[in-house]
Amino acid sequence: MFHKLYLIYGVLILSMVGFAEFRGWSLDSMNQLHNVPRSVRDNPGSYRSVYSSYHHYTGGK
Amino acid sequence: MSADTPPAAAQPKPITKALNCPGCGAPITLRALGQALSVVCESCHAILDAKDPNLKILQSFRKITSSDPPLIPLGTRGKIRGNDYEVIGFERRSITVDDIGYRWHEYVLFNPYKGFRYLTEYQGHWNDVAVCKEQPIVDSRLRIPLEANYLGEVYKHFQTADATTELVLGEFPWQVAVGEHAQLTDLICPPRVLSMERVSGEMTWTIGEYMYGREIWNAFRLSGNPPDAVGVYENQPSSFTTNVKQVWIAFALFALLILALMAGFEIQANSQPVFHAGYQLNQGEPRGESSFVTDTFELTGRTASVEVSTSADVSNNWIYVNYALINQDTGQAWDFGREVSFYSGYDSDGSWSEGGQHDSVVVPSVPPGHYYLRIEPEADALHPRIVYTLDVKRNVPVYEFYGIGVVALLLPPIFITWRSMIFERSRWSESDHPPNPIFNINTSSEDDD
Repeated sequence: MFHKLYLIYGVLILSMVGFAEFRGWSLDSMNQLHNVPRSVRDNPGSYRSVYSSYHHYTGGK
Repeated sequence: MSADTPPAAAQPKPITKALNCPGCGAPITLRALGQALSVVCESCHAILDAKDPNLKILQSFRKITSSDPPLIPLGTRGKIRGNDYEVIGFERRSITVDDIGYRWHEYVLFNPYKGFRYLTEYQGHWNDVAVCKEQPIVDSRLRIPLEANYLGEVYKHFQTADATTELVLGEFPWQVAVGEHAQLTDLICPPRVLSMERVSGEMTWTIGEYMYGREIWNAFRLSGNPPDAVGVYENQPSSFTTNVKQVWIAFALFALLILALMAGFEIQANSQPVFHAGYQLNQGEPRGESSFVTDTFELTGRTASVEVSTSADVSNNWIYVNYALINQDTGQAWDFGREVSFYSGYDSDGSWSEGGQHDSVVVPSVPPGHYYLRIEPEADALHPRIVYTLDVKRNVPVYEFYGIGVVALLLPPIFITWRSMIFERSRWSESDHPPNPIFNINTSSEDDD
């Protein structure tokens, strides 16, 4: 019984991995926006990134 | 268990006979007439010679030995392995191990055409038992076999103990006696148990198969519920143990399939480069608008991933780039920031380094179309000039998914292996070969020093 359930589970996992890869999913996080104005192409400064206030790591041991 | 061999194929029709106990005068019904050797009076528990026409008393008691009514009343009929049987005898036996007494019950079943078979019950665990059809193969040099081969199956020694018959009721195909001692040796191959019984030089082999209480209740159409099974019995099958090997084989198969899937996507993905450019960030120049956009590039094919890689000649400094991948046609955008930083040095522990001069990020599910990147770099003002390059690739494999898939596939086999180990430890802890404790707690005084 458990063996059959595992077979179903395994097929499900393989399908999910295959689907994620086929659809080009990613584990990286990013912000998605819609309707960015065409004027950004001519005036890049008019666009404000949500990541612009990032606090930079200055490294060092 | 002592037992005669089953009767020959040509059997007489079932004959029963009503007699009276010569001890107390209570009526006695002989159900296995001609085949039972002993019969016990249900009233005074006197053991009578079933072969004697006058039921000669073989063993009598001043008072009734004890009260322990059988769970399946004598005379109850039921179907076991497709054949009808009647319960004609009942006995209680016990062993003592480490000053602890263990009691179990045995039922004698009779079918005039099939002969005798037996049921045993211990704390809700049942076994369907029959006399072996052939002698198991054992190492004849050993008085107590550590292993036996019966009909191609290997049985491992579980326990040897001296059993005492405490109570008998009904008819038996052997000369039964209360207080009789026998040496019992159980060898197991779950769900079966091979038992060797020695009584005054005579040796009998029986083969038993585990049955659940509900199966017994259904077979004999008993009312109520069977007693709950307590603990793990010596030959109790474990659904986990029987599945461990199969599940690991299935896991190996899935692991191969996931490798094939990865190879397939790797070949199909081919990670097409769609854009490459080099830039320079000059912090020393007069400050103005630092953001700019790249040329337009086309992403073709189906919706797929896009990898944006940044390489910079940073050394003990950093560059941070705000990116926006923008679809020129639809206005859809993916906004993300990436840092490339690399630090190294030397201290009392030796040389060290952290970070790197390369970074990449995968943008998920990007539809085909015309795109450009808006780029806004930042860097430490102390490092006036940083050269960095940008590479964009279409349809790149994300290996993390395969890793997650393998981990997800591994969890069930690990779980059932662990459960199986717990089950087997519990089983063998009751045997003559208990497993070593997982945690060996040493309480000697040396530890306190």
